[in-house]
Amino acid sequence: MGRGKEGLFRGTPAWVAALILLGAALVLSLLGAVTIGSTEIPFRDVYRVIGYKLFRVGDWAYGSGNLYRAVWYLRLPRLLLAAGIGMALAVCGVVMQAIVKNPLADPYVLGISSGASLGATVAILLGVGAVFGENAVGIMAFIGAFTVSVLVVGLANVGGRANSVKLLLAGMAVSSVCGAFSNFIVYIAQDREGMQTVTYWMMGSMAGATWERDGAVLLVAVLGILFFWTQYRNLNLMLLGDESAITLGTDLHRWRQLYLLAAAAMVGFAVYAAGMIGFVGLIIPHVMRMLFGTDHKKLIPLCALAGGVFLVWADVACRVMIKGTELPIGILTAMIGAPCFIYLMARKKYGFGGGT
Amino acid sequence: MRIETKALQALLGGNRILKGIDLEAGERELIGVIGPNGSGKSTLLKCIYRVLKPAAGAVYLDGRPLDDYPYKESARNVAVVAQHNYYNFDFSVTDVVLMGRAPHKRALDRDTAEDFRIVRESLGRVGMSAFAERSFSTLSGGEQQRVILARALAQRTPCLILDEPTNHLDIQYQLQLMDLVRGLNRTVIAAVHDLNIAAMYCDWLYAMKDGVVVGQGSPKELLTPAFLRQVYEVDANVITDDKGYLHILFHPGAGETK
Repeated sequence: MGRGKEGLFRGTPAWVAALILLGAALVLSLLGAVTIGSTEIPFRDVYRVIGYKLFRVGDWAYGSGNLYRAVWYLRLPRLLLAAGIGMALAVCGVVMQAIVKNPLADPYVLGISSGASLGATVAILLGVGAVFGENAVGIMAFIGAFTVSVLVVGLANVGGRANSVKLLLAGMAVSSVCGAFSNFIVYIAQDREGMQTVTYWMMGSMAGATWERDGAVLLVAVLGILFFWTQYRNLNLMLLGDESAITLGTDLHRWRQLYLLAAAAMVGFAVYAAGMIGFVGLIIPHVMRMLFGTDHKKLIPLCALAGGVFLVWADVACRVMIKGTELPIGILTAMIGAPCFIYLMARKKYGFGGGT
Repeated sequence: MRIETKALQALLGGNRILKGIDLEAGERELIGVIGPNGSGKSTLLKCIYRVLKPAAGAVYLDGRPLDDYPYKESARNVAVVAQHNYYNFDFSVTDVVLMGRAPHKRALDRDTAEDFRIVRESLGRVGMSAFAERSFSTLSGGEQQRVILARALAQRTPCLILDEPTNHLDIQYQLQLMDLVRGLNRTVIAAVHDLNIAAMYCDWLYAMKDGVVVGQGSPKELLTPAFLRQVYEVDANVITDDKGYLHILFHPGAGETK
């Protein structure tokens, strides 16, 4: 491997092959992971339930009962949710890194996380948004995340056009305000149980998965990913900066804001369904970039599939690692993700894009 | 294609950097812009390649105001090799040159075999074919400059703007690059630092100082010792060698009054 060869598997055929492999891996992961859980369910029975439900083949007895409920209403929805959220977060990570032109960005960087936390805190501790019923926390988090993104875009445009630095600064400023208000509410509410709920929610979990939520999250995730895949040329240009982009025929200003809001919607839905899950949006893009280079035409679909696979197995690990209890997935993603990241970083010369 | 500026003024941070520039680059002319640091050369070029909005006056392509052109269309007519191309992400050389095809693409267009052919051809013209798979950020400054030129070539534009294109280059590549640019037979406006390079390659020179054009003419007419003294405050001899090339020979003791 010569100096500066970028990634192990460069070149078109390799990335297409990788795409197919990852796609197969995602399907196999879902099929495999559904057989693993805290309660022992025989391999064959799991597929009998799925087979009955999907194709109406086999014994009708698999269409009801505890076994059926465990597979069809617990395991499958949460696996699909994990896949959808993993895909969305990984792609949003790539997009955010392009928007702020900084490889250290993650999906939550532009204040989305603090907006979501404020929304959740307000819902849990103050009971705001009770009209949304049992989804109140998630929906308030979504509203918080999205509102903050709109605010950040607005703020970055004050006194001249927004650019990546102004967006980043606006994101930090709005984050601080939201963080302060969250803490303020936590402090005055003096509600131990509520605080615990907030903390738990911030660590993320797939436990709230239902088919309805899956539908919403997967729809937004898939549409968002397809949208960003078509935008690969502009995303590439973003990394060159505004001046080069103009000489190459694209004024990035509007695109940047559109992408930010689209990503905020995707992340918002993820947060709504599963709380905050860190690290996926940071590590997956970097690993894929190390292997396949920076071109977004490759990066977007590869990250989507890899993110899905990663989060499916992370969720499985959360369920089985500690007997009788379930680890919040955000803790696990950081625990698995960070060492992997350090390993890859140390093993391969990877300048985080910042040169060598 | 002709490029003109009329009474062009530009502000940077409240300072008037350009104080009314009239410049004309005719069809397939190689125009050099010379002048000391801070004279406004780069600012002038930035107005022409639309990164900077003029405070007054305008730029015209074939007589049509530049502001009337959508960005995509201006990028199909004018390609730019600017200074400082530092990217915070690793792109391969092919990725970078392929971006030169962006102005020819609509939102959902894919990269075609034709695009890749143009990329290979452009890299070949700047002698960088062997680097196609390399990571851009691992190249030397001079190699990066040539890749950026290849990107500009891939844009397939009738006009080219070069902002100190020979910076960072060894003399061999300086001459190679300018030979290449000359041979393109396009309308070129280049800010040139090195007066000998300017004298060797340009059809016409504009000399700038403090945001105004202080002289213009063919290299032979313009680059006289008296003029160099006036613009750069240096002493120099200007000779023509037996092959007819102009050479500027500088003397030590810049800024000392005679």
